[in-house]
Amino acid sequence: MTHPLRDRCAIVGVGASAQGKVPGSTAISLAVDAFRHALDDSGLRKEQIDGLLTLPGQTSAEGAQNYIRLGETLGIDPRFTATMSMGGATPAAQVQLAALAVNAGMASHVAVVFGDAAATGGGRYDRAQGWGDSSAIWGYMSAAANSAVSASRHMAVYGTTSRQLGEVAVACRHHASLNPDAVMRKPITVEDHQASRWVVEPLHLLDCCLVSDGGGCVIVSSAERARDLRQPPVLVAGMGQAFSTRNLGHPDWWYAPHQKAAVDDAYAMASLGPDDIDVAQLYDNFTISVLLWLEHAGFCKPGESGPFCEGGRIRLGGDLPVNTAGGNLSESYMEGILHIVEGVRQMRGTCGPRQVPDAAATLVTGRGGALNCASALVLRRE
Amino acid sequence: MDGYGKPLPSLTEENRPFWEACREGRLSLQRCDACGHLRYPVARHCPECLGEGATWTDVSGRGAVFSFIVIHRAYHPGFQDDVPYNVALVQLEEGPRMFSNVIGTPNDAVRVGDAVEAVFDPVTPEVTIPRFRLRAPVR
Repeated sequence: MTHPLRDRCAIVGVGASAQGKVPGSTAISLAVDAFRHALDDSGLRKEQIDGLLTLPGQTSAEGAQNYIRLGETLGIDPRFTATMSMGGATPAAQVQLAALAVNAGMASHVAVVFGDAAATGGGRYDRAQGWGDSSAIWGYMSAAANSAVSASRHMAVYGTTSRQLGEVAVACRHHASLNPDAVMRKPITVEDHQASRWVVEPLHLLDCCLVSDGGGCVIVSSAERARDLRQPPVLVAGMGQAFSTRNLGHPDWWYAPHQKAAVDDAYAMASLGPDDIDVAQLYDNFTISVLLWLEHAGFCKPGESGPFCEGGRIRLGGDLPVNTAGGNLSESYMEGILHIVEGVRQMRGTCGPRQVPDAAATLVTGRGGALNCASALVLRRE
Repeated sequence: MDGYGKPLPSLTEENRPFWEACREGRLSLQRCDACGHLRYPVARHCPECLGEGATWTDVSGRGAVFSFIVIHRAYHPGFQDDVPYNVALVQLEEGPRMFSNVIGTPNDAVRVGDAVEAVFDPVTPEVTIPRFRLRAPVR
């Protein structure tokens, strides 16, 4: 039986601001830039945007009231809005909330918007995490530490190697070299990865995402309305999200099992599976994240993602091209919204030298928090 | 607080027994009066049954390294002289896991799965931080 929400909504517009170091920019100015590009892309007028979902950047002082600040700046009064904070899981989760709102008749065209001036405005990633008896007492700090715990355990349990993590960095950089909008475009080798300094062992510098200024925006509408707009509709075929908010109380917290739950739900809604996915945009705050996604999304078995990444399998031309725009590791760190933008462009077939030929379905994933939050979308071309 | 420039716990009604036990060289966790679940981190409510009542219960301090990382960058100025230092996720024999440090051993000598036991590091007159050291295999 077809899921009632399958293919009912579409992404009708995507846009991004300049990325990298954008002197003089602010989180809001970058968000507005991205919004303008997405609006132009869709052919909609600003007045038609009646839904606004935002993720405050690390440099957005207004925090949870980001939606008001952004609504004020964009000069719109939505009838559906929220600011959400699930880190890198947020944009894909917001596409889902947008689709629910559109399906419920509570909005017609919902803009999902992110902007951050983390490179020039000073990020917050270095701060101690947690509350109460924070683990910072023991020096456990930074986003890298969470993923390092994950990687260290994966290596101990499955024999995964640092060189295999390096394959992810190399693939993303290769793809970024084909993307004129990417921040880091100079190709790298596994040897470069190995020679890069440690950040949090077992993660080298080249296992880590960039810190970027930039913005991204995607616009969600009903599939029916999408057919009258400027771009070929890219259908939201499947949606899923899941969370391990128990943190350490979850016995498999380090393995982020919620990522599997999120993808399984998205596959089920789409009536598709890993064999149907032609290209994947897998959230990569750190290289280990991609390995976990490959396992949780069923592209390989648990523990086999390290060998899976060898031999160019996740590069363009391989069995499963991953992060074809360069990802957080090499395109720009945008909390996952650029993964959605790239997923849409791959489905439209407009990616030029980095286009996966005849790509008909893509998996887009996001994850955030301290290994807590996961969201997944299956997008397909009509 | 001269000499100790690192993050310290904020002592509260709720967590004081944990830190007082550490000062006395004991690792003590809350056991839920309603369901018996042993919980950590310190919390007012049991994450299993949401009960509030709990009895502070000494645990063995023994465990194993569940995951192990080495931090090469000082994310807090207090750790500037310590980098590279390790953080271990320790699986306690009694069930809960806690972040801590393995001390008394070079970083590269520690492996996931190694047996460890708690040691107590007085860093200020008020606060003693529980850390771990490698435990010789049981003969």
